Amino acid sequence: MQSHSPVITGVGVLSAIGSGKAAFTEAMLDGRSAFGVMQRPGRQRESAYLGAEVGEIACPPEIARQTWRAASLSARAALVVLHEAWNEAGLDAVDPSRIGLIVGGSNVQQRELTQVHEAHGGSSTFLRPTYALSFMDSDLCGFCTAQFGIRGMAYTVGGASASGQLALIQAAQAVVGNQVDVCIALGAMMDLSHWECRGLRAIGAMGSDRFANEPSLACRPFDRDHDGFIFGESCGAVVIESRQSSKRRGIVPYGTLRGWGMTMDGNRNPNPSMEGEVRAIRQALDAAGCTPSQVDYVNPHGTGSVAGDETELKALHACGLTGVHLNATKSLVGHGLSAAGVVEGIATLLQMRAGALHPTRNLDHPIDDEFNWVRDEPVQHQIQNALTLSMGFGGINTALCWSGAH
Amino acid sequence: MTRSDILELIARHTREILPGLDDHLFVDTNRLVELGANSVDRAEIAMLVQESLGLSVPRVELFGPKNIGELAELFLTKLHAVA
Repeated sequence: MQSHSPVITGVGVLSAIGSGKAAFTEAMLDGRSAFGVMQRPGRQRESAYLGAEVGEIACPPEIARQTWRAASLSARAALVVLHEAWNEAGLDAVDPSRIGLIVGGSNVQQRELTQVHEAHGGSSTFLRPTYALSFMDSDLCGFCTAQFGIRGMAYTVGGASASGQLALIQAAQAVVGNQVDVCIALGAMMDLSHWECRGLRAIGAMGSDRFANEPSLACRPFDRDHDGFIFGESCGAVVIESRQSSKRRGIVPYGTLRGWGMTMDGNRNPNPSMEGEVRAIRQALDAAGCTPSQVDYVNPHGTGSVAGDETELKALHACGLTGVHLNATKSLVGHGLSAAGVVEGIATLLQMRAGALHPTRNLDHPIDDEFNWVRDEPVQHQIQNALTLSMGFGGINTALCWSGAH
Repeated sequence: MTRSDILELIARHTREILPGLDDHLFVDTNRLVELGANSVDRAEIAMLVQESLGLSVPRVELFGPKNIGELAELFLTKLHAVA
């Protein structure tokens, strides 16, 4: 473990299979999923898109009703996961001017905006003034910094489905660079409307209607019958801080974020690049001072996209990571898009703490048998060094290397 | 639509924006800022009332009223002007 690596001292998570780390861990290790035809208003239009939704989000008692009323679904999710992570890390005891927040995700509130447009029927005469705030993703920074008194810095970063990992990278850099002592990376809940669902289906990224009658079978990363991702609402927050800062409060960290990599393919389109993924993985391992043989677990991007899944496994082979344990968190919670990198980082940390790896649903016929897949049942395993991966439209690849608190 | 109806509309939409006022008894002299409404809340309340009345009032004219009684008067005057 590198002594200068930032440590993780708190996490908060919201997903369709469980909200809060205890419920999420239990559901994850039990291999549960919650896919169905999505019901949230504004998400269907002559359609029956499959996905996993979190239902009503409960307002923590510490958050004022006035704040809650004004908050969008994405803002409520952000407040809830930050509340959980904040309390776990004991951040009330930290100088607020030394705390920062990075929100991963762009254009995350599309469903709510679509609902406003549709409710007003083409006339903006009686548009609510708060639209001027809520149409921007930075509104999430406003809600969170106001609620928790964050006085360091706060901003959003966008990198499509790699946004969550980008937030983690930015937050870690802010801590390593001593910009702040503590920085929270938040993977914002992507709130898709039927417009985005249609677009993602039309471009071939979102899974087809093939399993419309059996929604629990539709999300199948790395399985022979995969044909695209299945959306899942989720949101996560990770508290990253310097080791010295955590020691001042006597917090026992989950582990460390040892290294990270980010590369671009020079490609506007959705198709992946093995070369770009390999470079990101090698950057992360080099930065962590970690060899491929020291990595014993990979939490892959694994969306269920045919080209994406195949390319990712080829990249892992090329990096000498064939011997690792591998599962796919998206098979349980779906693809959270902007939130994915953070939620999968949290899944990795919670598996580290549990000493167990979660099953992968619907992995009936793995497209590559050479990996050590965790399939139908959880596996007892104490993760030492993990790699988590994200890729996004526009040719972005990110990789993070984590180590346990051992 | 009477002045009293408009006052009730203002009360209803104020409760909507400021959920802590469920049990508050609204009177003419209440000032929104003293009830806990910040500038954005006040703009929201004014817009909701206008939508309920089907009436669009230039924002600059909404700065005049000093309390909800005067605000109700303004809306009533505008309604009569339209009629």
